[in-house]
Amino acid sequence: MELSLAIQNRRSVRAFRAEPIALDQLKALILEAAIWAPSGGNAQTWRFGLITRPDLIGKIKMISPGLLSQPAAVIVICQDMEEARRKGSDLAVNALSWMDTAMAAQNLMLAAHAAGIGTCAIASFHAKAVQKILDLPERIVPQLLVSLGYPSQSPKPPSRRTEVLWLNEYAESGS
Amino acid sequence: MNTPNQDLEKRFYELVCYMVTSARNLVTETKLYGPFRLVDSASRLVEILPQMGVDSIRLQSIRRQIDDGKYTVMEDESTFSSYLESLVMALVKSMDE
Repeated sequence: MELSLAIQNRRSVRAFRAEPIALDQLKALILEAAIWAPSGGNAQTWRFGLITRPDLIGKIKMISPGLLSQPAAVIVICQDMEEARRKGSDLAVNALSWMDTAMAAQNLMLAAHAAGIGTCAIASFHAKAVQKILDLPERIVPQLLVSLGYPSQSPKPPSRRTEVLWLNEYAESGS
Repeated sequence: MNTPNQDLEKRFYELVCYMVTSARNLVTETKLYGPFRLVDSASRLVEILPQMGVDSIRLQSIRRQIDDGKYTVMEDESTFSSYLESLVMALVKSMDE
């Protein structure tokens, strides 16, 4: 799939078919797409929990209001905050790790879309509860969930603001 | 195998988890997610009723209307507000049914 098409046609999918996704395909989204995102200072302090067990997805769903429908899998994008602090101090903990997570998620979601898999990035969840459910060490902090499944609906494209660009000299309404 | 009561308890438990976690997260979340979570909770509540032997055409109708339009929250505030307004009016209309 052409990159610009993938970027413009990807949608946040919140309704999935009850159909599993091959494990190799899910792993490839992480190992061939997510981890190739830019990483501040090349720290790569991200960690990716690939959750396919329905009982665990069910528990995560209970404390994740943004996680809708029944996805085939959930990828829990975490950061090792001790490693982030060691490598990049407060800047890494407060900013760079979040940016890395977001960029990895976008790579992952575009690769998924190109493979016909729907995704939704979810920030509406309780991080400490997810840590507890997945038995994560305290330093491994979930920052974003990505739900995955084969779409049962094609969401219509939301409008996009275009008055967000300026050329050289700042102007409020840009062009 | 779970008994019907255990199944029902599980569904209510999931709903309570959703509502309580929503309350916690809404302290800092996008403002419009508040009304979204409320109507979505209403939908989830109505969805459980048949399992309790409650058969209500008007409640199932409002659930369908909720589910048909709830994601307008992702479009813009005025569209979402109009949708919420239409839900209230639909409830008023079905009050005497």
